[in-house]
Formats: sequence, structure tokens, C-alpha cells
Amino acid sequence: MNMKNPLINWVLAIVIVVAVFYGLNHGVMSMQGLPLNVDLTPVQ
Amino acid sequence: MNLSIRKVQSGAVLFNVLLFSFSLTLVFTLVANLLPQVEGEAPVEVEIDLSAMTMDGFVSLGESIFSGKGTCTLCHNNMGRAPDILQLNMVATSTERMADERYKGAAASVEDYMRESMLDPSLYVVKGFGQKGSNDTVSPMPTANKAPILLTDVEMDAVIAFMQAKDGNDVTVALPEGLPEKSAEEQAGASAVAAVQGPAETAEEALGKFTCTACHAVAGSESMVGPELNAVGNRLDKDKIRESILNPEAVIAEGFDAGMMPADFAKKMTISELDMVTEYLLNQKGGQ
Amino acid sequence: MNSDILNKNKIRVILSLLFALMLAGMISVSVSNEVYAASEITSIEDRIRSVDTGGLSADQFKVEPKSVGFPPFAAPKLKAKDYSKIMGVSSRSIVWVVAQMHLFFAAFVLAVPLFVLVIEWIGAKSGDERYDDMAHECMKISMTAFSITAIFGGLLAFALFILYPQFMGYMMNVFNTQVLVYALLFFAESFFLYLYYYSWYAYRWGNKKWVHLTLGLMLNVVGTTILLLANAWVTFMMAPTGVDDAGAVTGGIWEIMRGPLWNPINLHRFIANIAFGGAVIGAYAAYKFLSATDLKARAHYDWMGYTANFIAILAFLPLPFAGYWLMAEIYAYSQQMGITAMGGILAWLFIVQAVLIGTILLAGNYYLWSGMSRTKGSERYTWMIKYIAMVLVTCFLIWVTPHTLILSASEMKLLGGSHHHLLGPLGIMPAKNIAVNLMLIFTFLSFQLYRRSDKEITVGWAGFGNALMVSIYVVAIVNVIFAGVYYGYFTNTVYKVGSSVAQVVSTLVVIIAGVVIDTYMFKGAKKLPSEWGKVSNRAQYALFALPVAFTWLMALMGYVRSSVRTNWHVYTVMKDNSPDNYIPAIGFAGNMMTIVTVLFLIFVLFIFWVASLSDTKQPKPDFLTGDK
Repeated sequence: MNMKNPLINWVLAIVIVVAVFYGLNHGVMSMQGLPLNVDLTPVQ
Repeated sequence: MNLSIRKVQSGAVLFNVLLFSFSLTLVFTLVANLLPQVEGEAPVEVEIDLSAMTMDGFVSLGESIFSGKGTCTLCHNNMGRAPDILQLNMVATSTERMADERYKGAAASVEDYMRESMLDPSLYVVKGFGQKGSNDTVSPMPTANKAPILLTDVEMDAVIAFMQAKDGNDVTVALPEGLPEKSAEEQAGASAVAAVQGPAETAEEALGKFTCTACHAVAGSESMVGPELNAVGNRLDKDKIRESILNPEAVIAEGFDAGMMPADFAKKMTISELDMVTEYLLNQKGGQ
Repeated sequence: MNSDILNKNKIRVILSLLFALMLAGMISVSVSNEVYAASEITSIEDRIRSVDTGGLSADQFKVEPKSVGFPPFAAPKLKAKDYSKIMGVSSRSIVWVVAQMHLFFAAFVLAVPLFVLVIEWIGAKSGDERYDDMAHECMKISMTAFSITAIFGGLLAFALFILYPQFMGYMMNVFNTQVLVYALLFFAESFFLYLYYYSWYAYRWGNKKWVHLTLGLMLNVVGTTILLLANAWVTFMMAPTGVDDAGAVTGGIWEIMRGPLWNPINLHRFIANIAFGGAVIGAYAAYKFLSATDLKARAHYDWMGYTANFIAILAFLPLPFAGYWLMAEIYAYSQQMGITAMGGILAWLFIVQAVLIGTILLAGNYYLWSGMSRTKGSERYTWMIKYIAMVLVTCFLIWVTPHTLILSASEMKLLGGSHHHLLGPLGIMPAKNIAVNLMLIFTFLSFQLYRRSDKEITVGWAGFGNALMVSIYVVAIVNVIFAGVYYGYFTNTVYKVGSSVAQVVSTLVVIIAGVVIDTYMFKGAKKLPSEWGKVSNRAQYALFALPVAFTWLMALMGYVRSSVRTNWHVYTVMKDNSPDNYIPAIGFAGNMMTIVTVLFLIFVLFIFWVASLSDTKQPKPDFLTGDK
């Protein structure tokens, strides 16, 4: 992708991956009937 | 390559491979044998003479069912899977639950509520304990009078009595009258209640006839209502054992209460039965 | 040109006939079931209920004692005296040994055709003849195993009928035609097996190769169907459906088969078979490697061993997830059964399981690391190995830590309980889930590093690709730890249990992303030379550790499966009143498992020997050839 500035590669990669896993946590938990708040704490 | 060297080599390879494989297998075997060896026990049929039952005895029976045949303690403990019945004041808790707006059952009293909880657990599910995804509308608790637990009405009454009595509350359950209702399995395999037959022929028969196993851990029972008798031969001599049977109030074991053990064995037991039981108990030295 | 078209048409005809055969088979099975159901009554209310309820009141079952053509058959109520014995030996032990041997071999013969087909297909696509030769060799090894499987199957049937006739009578009544279908499928299995193996070089090239692959496919379809049919019996015993409280049949055969545990067991066994088969083939390769006398043979068996290990570990990675699904379904079906398995009397067993899986992962990883010496490109990655090893060992130790300590009463008083203050928290599921998921992630890392060792990536987007891969690893690891620690220790039970799914999915993301990203990254990659055969002898022992551990693990899991039924032949329906109706202690079970493992090893050595024998040609002695 970006050979000139490897930093951009890393930043982009981390941002994408964190977003994916964040969405994953929300998705997996709510699918089981265990909703989460924005900060990933359980909804009481 | 020289044929004989090849033979030796392949022999050596086989030997090494076998040695390695068997050694590894032995490691696993060793691990399994070093762990605590617990054998699961199938429930043992116990004859209870309900015509001689006192309320205290009934409560004790309930307690032994709670941790025995009822398998309640499998989930009702402090691990969080089900309400910790032993820690809660069950009468107060039941009253609270019946007053809950989510409660849709028909129970009018604590006793009814407890019985209802055993016969139809999903009628009211305590918040947070429902099956995952059911939003506390389906209970994971099995029905107490169905398989695999199969408690009879009398047994359930005993458990209710225990739950009421354990925190010092009044017991509202009526004592069963006359001959007991037996569960299907007991009906299928039961012999007549031995109360009116002749003297017992063996020590085990005597233990059953006088319902010792209802309260004492001996002959397969695990009841903890009274002192365990699996190793009583180490603790008491012949005279002390006889005294404990004929005059239970003379010496109360540490940690147990007075007035629990029937005091009329002197009138009920024949001399041969007393001798047999004493002899049997003398030989109970634990370590099986 | 004309003959080409003729050949193509012939192929089309043959292929169509084969698919029609498969279709006909499936249809006839379902049609026969419909017929069976239709011969009964028309409505649910008229359905047979048990007439003999053994003393239970009519209200409890709404009994309508109508005889409707199909005899009602509640589960028999047996007493201790109804059970027979052979020569005073415990019946349960006999059936245990025979059944386990049958299952070992069944797993093997179902697994081998699965990956043989894949290897053969890879060979056909790539044109690399080594794959085809290896596929053929694997089939050759397994041929003897088929008849051994059948022998143990027959022995098992006899043992069950002799020792538990009433139970078998009941089961045969419940499953009825399905059992016949199972038996008849063996005709199809043998048919396709013999055709597949013996036509290997007759249908070697071009369109005939596709015919051959179809034969292999059919063999696998039949084999899998056989597995599914047999799985239904075992899951019915654990979680019966389609019968009422007394055991009388109230549903059709599909309702009986499709219990809540059927598909979890199907998936788990299907995948586990592949891992197991790979492990056994790996042992064969390792053995031949160690006894190889020339470099060419060494290279060949090194490659075979690597491929087998690859299959075994690749199939092994998703197994914990399949097992998790099975346990979740068990809990959903009966919380009692679930707790008996994992929180009650059988809990220590899962510590033993940890030891076994730790062995498998460590052996698999060790083999991969050793294999890295085959190529110079691995030098880029060797620095990571010690860290991977450290993580694996630490996680293994955490996994093996029990919750409840083995203490005497006085020790318990000193400690103030049965849990250690510091290590106790490591004994519960959240800690173990973290450990397991990390072990799987790091094993996959070893995998990925090995696969990258002999390549130099040339795609333009390699920088981003690598950044993505590293991020996925880092974030997944953090997520696994976070989910385990936070939801495991600081929220309630339901969230704690649910968080393990999030962990599992994180691990799966790593594996799937790793495979996908690498597939694209390797396009046009420069291949570095790797020397097959250049691996230490020591590494081969990892390939023996694998099947030994797998075998023992299979036996261990069988002990759990059987024990969760406690004192029931068919849970809640048919009580077990035999002299063996208790869960045996783990030491006794361990001894039984060792017996079957050793027996299996001996049989497997026999199979390997026979396979080698078929290749051996005794040279004609001089006195027969030369002048006298």
C-alpha cells in the first residue's frame, strides 16, 4: 500500500483492526442477549 | 547397507518408538491416578419408617435429600448458578419473591411457593438466573418430581420443611401420615416396610429397619444429620456403642444437638438386633 | 476429436449416474421413514402412549391405552438381577474396551479418505505427482484398518446384545429402520472403498481422474452418513427426544435423531476424526523416516510427516470451539448434566484434558520449530520461538491449575478453605479460556511463521499486509485477555459465560485472517530452497507424541460423555440399575484408557507393518536363479 510512510500503514492497520474487534465484541455479546454499553461494560 | 545392520537399526527404531509411546501413556496414567479419586454413587434406596417420624427427623430427612437424592446442592451453592439456598433465609426470601411484580404464580403461602418452585421452576425465575437469552423467563432448573430427580411428594415436603426450619422459622408442612407414598422406583423395587416383621436377620437389615441411615453416614448413606459411623469402630468401644443406641442422650457428640436421635430403641430392638448392630459398628473402621 | 467428445459424454453419463445413485439413496432413506411414520396413527392424540407405566399414575402421562398397530414400548425398568455377566467380569468394562477400540478405528477410517481426497485433488490441480503418490500411500495404510473397524463393530454389537439385551431391545425399537439403513450403508462404503483404491492407477489421468475423485467423494459421503447415523444413538442416550417420559416413541425418526446434542457431536467428531487421522499417518511417516536407509526415502517421509502434522494441527485448532458448542448445548439441555461434567464430580478430568492438549500443542509446535531448519529463510523468525514457547508453557500451567486444591482437613483449616488465595482465581473458567485461546493463537503463529519461512513475499502491498497481520495478533491477544479478566472476574455469571464466545471469535479471526491474508500475500512469492529430510530425528518423536496424546484424549472424552449420563442408560428415560451404575473414579478410568491406547498402538503397528509388507518384494534367492 503505502511504501513511502510506513507509519501510515501501521496507524491505518491498527485503527481498522481495533474497530473490527470493538464491533465484534458488541455483536457477539448482543447476539447472546447480553448487551453492552459504549465502554463495553454490561448493561445493567 | 549391510542387511544385518539394517535389521538391528529397524529393531532399534521400533524399540525406541514403543518405549517412548508407552512412557508417554504412562505419564498420562500417572496424572490420572494422582488426582483425588472420587467415585460417583448411584442413589441407594433407603427404607424410611414414616410412622415413627418426628418433625425434627423429617427436617433432617429433608436436609439429607437436599444434598443427596434431590441433587439441589449441585446448583444451589455459592458458585452463582442458582440462588444460594443454604445462605438465604428462605421464608423471608420466598415472601419477597411472592410480592415481586413479576410473580405470576398461584402460591398463597411460603410452603406453596416452595412447592411451586420445585414443580414448575419456570413459572417465576429469579432475576439473573434464567436461561441465557430467555430474559429470565425460562429456568434451567429441572422439575423435582420428574426424571432424573424423581422426588416423591413426601420427599418434597421434607425438603420444604428443611428450608423452613433451617433459619429458625416455623415449619408449616404437615407430617405424612401412615404408610409413605413411594416414588415409582421405590414402588418397583421396594419390599414392605419392615416395622411389623420379625427381628432383622442381618446388621444391614437392622440398620434399615431402624432407619439409622436416614441420619448417619454408614452402609452407603452420606447423611450428615448425625455423627458419621463409617469409622465409629476407631472412636468408640463396644460399651459406648451400646450406650449410644440405648441411651442416646447420655453423650452428645460435639457439633450435634440433643434430642434428635430416637430414644426408644431399648424398647424396640431385640437383643439379637442390638448385638448385630453393635458388632457391625465395631467393625466400621473407615478407609474403604 | 470424435473420441474426445465420446469420452467426455461417457464421463458425463458416469458422473450423472453416480449422482443419481447418491440422490436415490438419500430419497429412499427419507421415503422409508415417511412410510414407517404413516403406518402408525394419524393424529398426535391417538399416538401410542405407554400402557405399562410401572405404577405411575395415569394423570402424569395422560395415558390412553389404545392399541394402534405398532406395539407400545416404554423403556424397560430393570433391577440389578436383570443384568448378566460374562465370566464375572464387569460388563461395563468389556463394552468400554470394545466400544473405544471400534471408535478409534472408525475415526481413523473416516478421516483418512477425507484428507486423502483433498490431497489427491491438490495433486490433480497442481500437477505435482508427489501429492497423488502420498494420497495413494495413505489409502494403502488405512485399508487394513477398515476390516479391523468392522471386526470391533461386530464384537461391540455382540457384547451389547449379550450384556445389555433389554437396553438394546429398547434402542432397536426406537431407532428401528434407521439401524438397518446404517447396516446397509456398509455395502456402499465397501463398494466405493474398493473401487477408489483399486482403480487408482487405472483412472489416473484426464477425465478418468475426475471419475476417481468422484468415487472418493462418494466414499466420504457414505462414511459421513454412517457417522451421523451412529452419533444419533449416543446423543439419544444423553438427551432423548421423540419419546415421552416413559420412553415410548412419540415422534418420527427425524425427531428422534435430531436431538439438541446431535449436530454438536457431529461437528466435533467430524473435525476431531480428521485431526486424529492426520496424527496417526504422521506417526507412520515418522516411523518410516527413522528407519529410512537412503536420503530420498528420508525426504519423502519427512514431507509426508510434515503434511500429516499440518492436517492434524489445522484440524485441531477449531476443535475447542466445537467442544465448547457441545458443552453449551449440554448446559442448555440440562444444567445438572452440564454442572456434573464441568463443575461437579468430573471437574478434575478437565485438568487431565489440559495436560493432554498441552502435550499436543507443545509437540505440534516443537515439530514446526524443528522443521524450520529445513530452510534458510526461517532465520528471520527463529528469535520469536523462545517467546512463543514461554507463552505456551505459561498458558499451559494456568490451564492445568485446579480451582479446588487436594488438601487434607488440617491443611484446609490452615489455608482457610480449599482454594489458594493467589492461584485459586486461575482455576476458574475465565483464566482457562484466556490460556486456551492464547495457546491456539500462538500455535497458529508458529504455523504462519513456518509457512512464511520458505518464501520471500513480493507483492506491493506487503507493508500494509504485514501491519494488518501484526495488528490483528496484538488486538486479538489484548481482547482475549480483556474479555477474560473483565467479564470473567468483574461481572456476573451470564456475562462471564458469554464472554468466552467473544474470545473464541477473536481467535477465529486471527486464524481466518491469517490464512486469507497469507494466501494473497504469497501470490508470486519467491520460493526459497528447502531441504526435505533435513530435520532432526528428535523431531520425529513429536509425531509419535501426537497420536498417543490424541488417542488417550479421545478415550478421556468418551469417559466424560458416558459418565454425564450418571445412573441412566438413556437419561431420564431408562435407569441404569446394573452393578456398574456409578461413575468410576478417574484413576480407574485412566487405567482403562491406557489399556485401550496400548491396544490401539499395537493394532496400528500391525496395520503399518501390513502396509509395508505389501510393498516388500523378497529377492529371489541365488540358488533358484543361478545355475545349480
